[in-house]
Amino acid sequence: MALKALDIYKLLPKKNCKECGDPTCLTFAMKLASGKGDIDKCPYLDLNAKNILGASTRPPIQLVKIGVGERRFAVGEEFVVFRHEKTFYHPPGIMFQVSDLWPAEKIESVTRRVGSEHFVRVGTDLTFSGVAITNESGDPDVFSKAVGVVEATGTHIPEVLMAADPVVQEEGLKKCGNFRPLIYSATKDTYKPMCALAKKFGSPLVVSAKDLESLGEMTKLCNAEGITDLLLDLSFPSLRDYVPAATEIRQKSISRSAPELGYPIFLDTTRYEMQDTALVLGIDKYAGVIVTPALGPASSVATLTLRQNIYTDPQKPIQMNPGIYPVGNPGKESPVLLTVNFSLTYFTVQGYLESSRVPCYMFIVDTEGLSVLTAVAAGKLNETLVRDSIKKFDLENLVSHRRIIIPGYASPLSGKIEEETGWKVLVGPRDAAEIGDYLLKEWKI
Amino acid sequence: MAENSPDLGGKIGYVVLGATKAEDGTRSVSYRLGGESDLPFIGMKTSLGSIPLVAFEICDDPSYWSPIVTSYTGDLVSDTPEWATAAEQQYGADLVRLYLTSTKRRGFDDFPSITKVTEEVLSGTGLPLVVEGSNEPAIDSEIFQRCGEAGQGERLLLGTAEAGRYRSVAAAAMAYNHSVVAQSPIDINLAKQLNILLREIGVKADHIMIDPYTGSLGYGFEYSYSVMERIRYAALKGDTDLAMPMIASAMDSLSVKEVREADPVIRDDIAVAWEFYAALSSAVAGASIVCVRHPKTVPLLKLAFRELWAGKKPGEF
Amino acid sequence: MTEMKTAITLGNASLKKKLNAIEGPFAYEETAYHLPVAYALTGRPVHTAQEAIEVYNLTNENPFVACESVLAFSEQGPGREPAPYTGFIGDAVLRKLGYSLVDGSILGLALVIGTPGNSDTASRICRELQEKYMLTFLAGDVVPSLSSASVKLGLEYRLIPLGSTSIHGVHFVDIITRVALMFGGVVPGDPGRLLAYANQRAKAIAIVFPGLDNEGIALVDALRLLGIPIISLGGYEGGEWTTTLPQDAVREGMERKGIKVTVTAIPIPMSCSPAFEGKSIRKEEMYVEFGGGRSPAFELLRVKPASEVTDGLIRVMGPEIESVKEGSAVPLGIIVDVAGKSMRKDFEPVLERRIHNFVNYGEGSWHVAQRDLIWVRISKDAVKNGIKIEHIGKLIATKFRIDFPDLLDAVQVTMVTDLQAVLAGKKEAEGIYEERDRRIQGMKDTDVDLFYSCTLCQTFAPNHVCIITPERPALCGAISWLDGKIAYEISPSGANQPVEKGVVIDRDKGEFEGVNRFVKKASHGEVERCSLYSIMEYPMTCCGCFECIALMLPEVNGIMVVNREYKGDTPSGMSFSTLAGTIGGGAQTPGFAGISKNYILSDRFLQDEGGIERLVWLPSLVKEELKERLVKKLNELGHPDLFEKIADETKATTLEELVAFLDEVQHPALAMKPLL
Repeated sequence: MALKALDIYKLLPKKNCKECGDPTCLTFAMKLASGKGDIDKCPYLDLNAKNILGASTRPPIQLVKIGVGERRFAVGEEFVVFRHEKTFYHPPGIMFQVSDLWPAEKIESVTRRVGSEHFVRVGTDLTFSGVAITNESGDPDVFSKAVGVVEATGTHIPEVLMAADPVVQEEGLKKCGNFRPLIYSATKDTYKPMCALAKKFGSPLVVSAKDLESLGEMTKLCNAEGITDLLLDLSFPSLRDYVPAATEIRQKSISRSAPELGYPIFLDTTRYEMQDTALVLGIDKYAGVIVTPALGPASSVATLTLRQNIYTDPQKPIQMNPGIYPVGNPGKESPVLLTVNFSLTYFTVQGYLESSRVPCYMFIVDTEGLSVLTAVAAGKLNETLVRDSIKKFDLENLVSHRRIIIPGYASPLSGKIEEETGWKVLVGPRDAAEIGDYLLKEWKI
Repeated sequence: MAENSPDLGGKIGYVVLGATKAEDGTRSVSYRLGGESDLPFIGMKTSLGSIPLVAFEICDDPSYWSPIVTSYTGDLVSDTPEWATAAEQQYGADLVRLYLTSTKRRGFDDFPSITKVTEEVLSGTGLPLVVEGSNEPAIDSEIFQRCGEAGQGERLLLGTAEAGRYRSVAAAAMAYNHSVVAQSPIDINLAKQLNILLREIGVKADHIMIDPYTGSLGYGFEYSYSVMERIRYAALKGDTDLAMPMIASAMDSLSVKEVREADPVIRDDIAVAWEFYAALSSAVAGASIVCVRHPKTVPLLKLAFRELWAGKKPGEF
Repeated sequence: MTEMKTAITLGNASLKKKLNAIEGPFAYEETAYHLPVAYALTGRPVHTAQEAIEVYNLTNENPFVACESVLAFSEQGPGREPAPYTGFIGDAVLRKLGYSLVDGSILGLALVIGTPGNSDTASRICRELQEKYMLTFLAGDVVPSLSSASVKLGLEYRLIPLGSTSIHGVHFVDIITRVALMFGGVVPGDPGRLLAYANQRAKAIAIVFPGLDNEGIALVDALRLLGIPIISLGGYEGGEWTTTLPQDAVREGMERKGIKVTVTAIPIPMSCSPAFEGKSIRKEEMYVEFGGGRSPAFELLRVKPASEVTDGLIRVMGPEIESVKEGSAVPLGIIVDVAGKSMRKDFEPVLERRIHNFVNYGEGSWHVAQRDLIWVRISKDAVKNGIKIEHIGKLIATKFRIDFPDLLDAVQVTMVTDLQAVLAGKKEAEGIYEERDRRIQGMKDTDVDLFYSCTLCQTFAPNHVCIITPERPALCGAISWLDGKIAYEISPSGANQPVEKGVVIDRDKGEFEGVNRFVKKASHGEVERCSLYSIMEYPMTCCGCFECIALMLPEVNGIMVVNREYKGDTPSGMSFSTLAGTIGGGAQTPGFAGISKNYILSDRFLQDEGGIERLVWLPSLVKEELKERLVKKLNELGHPDLFEKIADETKATTLEELVAFLDEVQHPALAMKPLL
């Protein structure tokens, strides 16, 4: 059970010496309580306190960093079973698989694709996370060469080295070991040499076993070898087992009833025929690293969008940049529709406006991501904001008329906006679905 | 007690859709949904709960339907009962969901056509039927009475009840023994309230399915996903006002920008992917019925569910 | 004049005789319910004379059973009455009627029976029933009477002629019975449930003309058992029927049964819509204004007994718009009198606040403020279109009926524009405002057994629930205990629920057994205990919309409070937003609590920690805002100089500065019991 801030505070020296970087012990205690602090930062903790705090203040799921440089990513450090309880923090890395039996051009082309392909959604760049090189040849030299091809592309993307034989792994690591690749994987028989390699190259390591109990044993064994950056391999023979296993791991990690399972999850979807299904299950349910064959255009954009959706903080609405967004080909006489910068509102209204086929301008003001109702209630959407935004985005030069349509739920502001801006306010419908009808009926030049 | 999750003592209630000859109906199959006592997909291991079902959505006036579907499907969309037949025999859906889009027309008053199309679709397919009634509150009363009566004895699922607009669909459900789709705007407390309102008016708990409103992928989907997880969890914790099976339809999927503006060569693939990812995720979140509109999505979902629920037949508990 | 008691006895005897004369089998057509009333009461299908007699005896010689049996027997084959009479109505048609009852297209059922002396009266009553969306069944002489007045009869006109004799009135009962069985969850053989359904849920009335035969009287009188009000138009002596004038019959019947016609339109010559809420009327645009400092004005809503309120009555006491010069300021008193079975005096201020919204709905009407500070304007355009002061009253009255259909039965509005009357009314109103304020101010947690919960923020924080008490408002500052109570009574399945206090576990901490139970359930088991008056131990959970955060500062043995608007540093080392991020989301964080600003002034604030003397730091703007009331309270508690000893950001923004300051002023917290 996680300790509360007050209980942690009681165990701290209470000197307020600031040497941990925080202004007071209370602040430090609160950080530890939310799993975000590092007890080693306090130089005056006695051993007893350290032991009690250590176990219960480190994140329930180990934070594991993979790769170096701009494209590096981290997984783990999660605190909840359901995203709605707070949020998920670290989206899974999705790695495209290449085989060491492939011709160099093919390996290169997949690698370059991961390096450069990106989709922009809601102001964020979405990319795949890296490549996973599989040792189908069984030959350390062939494997090493394949890794070399990936490295030679200069894309510096994170890698997963998938070879069961430690000898083969070593050859691969010689080529890219400086770049924190993920080693796949250690089994009961190979964990000693694999851990040695992990230690040598400072790489994270995946452990594989037949069930959760055995996985737990594996992590303990690896811990004893000094390795804590681990992932649990949940690529069981049947995809059916994934969700129950992943859920059990997450539940037991969060409740701290099985700290030996407190590690991110690895899922290799290439084992299963139903790629998209496996991807969806992994993204929805707790996977930290997912290996998949290079995806087609449809699956690519759907996968990245789903990952973005599930890993969005539910308490932080995604915001659009405020500004003027044309719909269709609007001109000087086209209507101007005011609304908030909550992305969902924007997309919903935009969709309806596009279907209405009336060219117009969407005038998005900064309500810090709040929806219309909330922004009106909280006073964030107000006449001053509208006035300032009109000026900021030079609306007066964009259209020759001085009429602005506001959302139905913002009607209480109509008079004030008129007074403050001098523009005439038309109150639109409350339901965005009716905006098309409204424009066709009410907008007259 | 659930195998996996601690402290869950509740259970999702049952809803039966479709009546076979044994029950004086004409459906070829009847489904019993619900009964889960753990989180979704956990039951795969222990065979608890029922396999998610795939509903294929059609309508009686395709001018209000996605051009992607109409151009992919062709003339079939103009023949509603034939379209229903295709849903069952070609696409392999588990249910057909009929939207009476003709009621969107301004000044709609062809009420006999409502009875006719409902009866024809019931002939066109032996699958249990979901009927989405009126689009115009002013004609709710007439429309739902007709749908209800036309489907009497078949245990339809009638949609859609909302907080300010539920009396007619509830009345039809009670008069003719159908179940109701209860929709709320992605809010667990409003979902609960609506269920209470429906029960107060006389609709039985085992005749209600919760529709939390499903946003499409990238356009609010995650809100719906989390609300479904919350509803399932609350139900398993003992909240009987939320212990109803859920239905999810990300109906805007085919009109989102990514799909609409895709290269025509891959547009159908993107449409299918958009639907598939949302529908499967909805099932992961706890939906018992997921609904799609592109024919190609149906077999993909059926395959996924069949693989994930070893040897379970739809509707089997 | 018919004498009731005798008539009933004779009527029952006659029915019994007819029953005994039945031979052979019989059945109603197109029904799965046999003889519906007999079936519902006893669970026994009746299809033979013997069964009929058995069931008649079983039900203590119930006249409905007798009538049913007699009709079922006589209506067979050639006995069937010709059109327009319907006789027994089959299940399929009935299902449709039941549907309309449930979906609200029909408000209720009426039985009209007897021998009208005047067919005009009968047709007027039937027309009124039609206009009020009632489904009317006719039996006996009333049918030819209506036909002779050329009144169209039939299902489509909602005037259904059951049969030519008064006994045919029993179809009214078998219809109600079957609706109960089909829709009401009533199971055959459960007479208790059937009676309960009929009494509580069935919206049915009976209107009786004089001249009923004895059998008819026996039948109609038995309707009383089902809770059906019997409105007689005279001619019956003794008995328990209500006699009214014909013009009052329908209204009386519907009122008794609580059948209300839903209002949807506002019948005034002005557009009304929420879209006009924010629209203001400038000086140049106005025709007349009231209040706002230019003339005396007030608004008041009062609950009155039903007998004192006439629904829809609008009066203007004083000059109307015609005698008002354009551009002038006129006195105004808006007095709204309401009646409703579940309406309470406590609800007055909540409803009164709505006058503001309602007046603003009008395109040409505008309203600001409340109570005796109101300022109202009517635009020139509106007056040009025919708007009068009376219409503003009508707007208010109609909106109240539309928005509160279950709470209010009757609303009447008086618009007072006579100066003397306004001044007198204003004085009286001011007394009422003061009394209301006193009532809520004086309320203590110990005065009530129920607290109220609020789960409005659960969309944001799934496990959070606020427990609102008279002395502790919701942490958002928006909802008081009274607001929660009223919200619950208006919407019993809404976000505010009653919380039973239960046994007191700890008086100082404010820990109650009932509250713990409630919180445990509402938080899905996450939170097991909640101390309402403590910050340090099991404080209430927080969502994210608290106005302020109270937190412990162990180093100075005190509690500090920081508000949302304060963006700077606090002695805790954390800003408001940092703190909010960690304690929000439904967490219970000992030592930290989200609170409303006004709670700082409550006696319960910091009660478990020893009281207001624990307060060591508060941002200056909040100090200023609360100054008057806080100083008053501190004086009363015997701490006249404590106000100056509470630090703010001008005195300290770090812990060190705070320690120094508190030491210097000798703040009482330093000497109190250690917090930890």
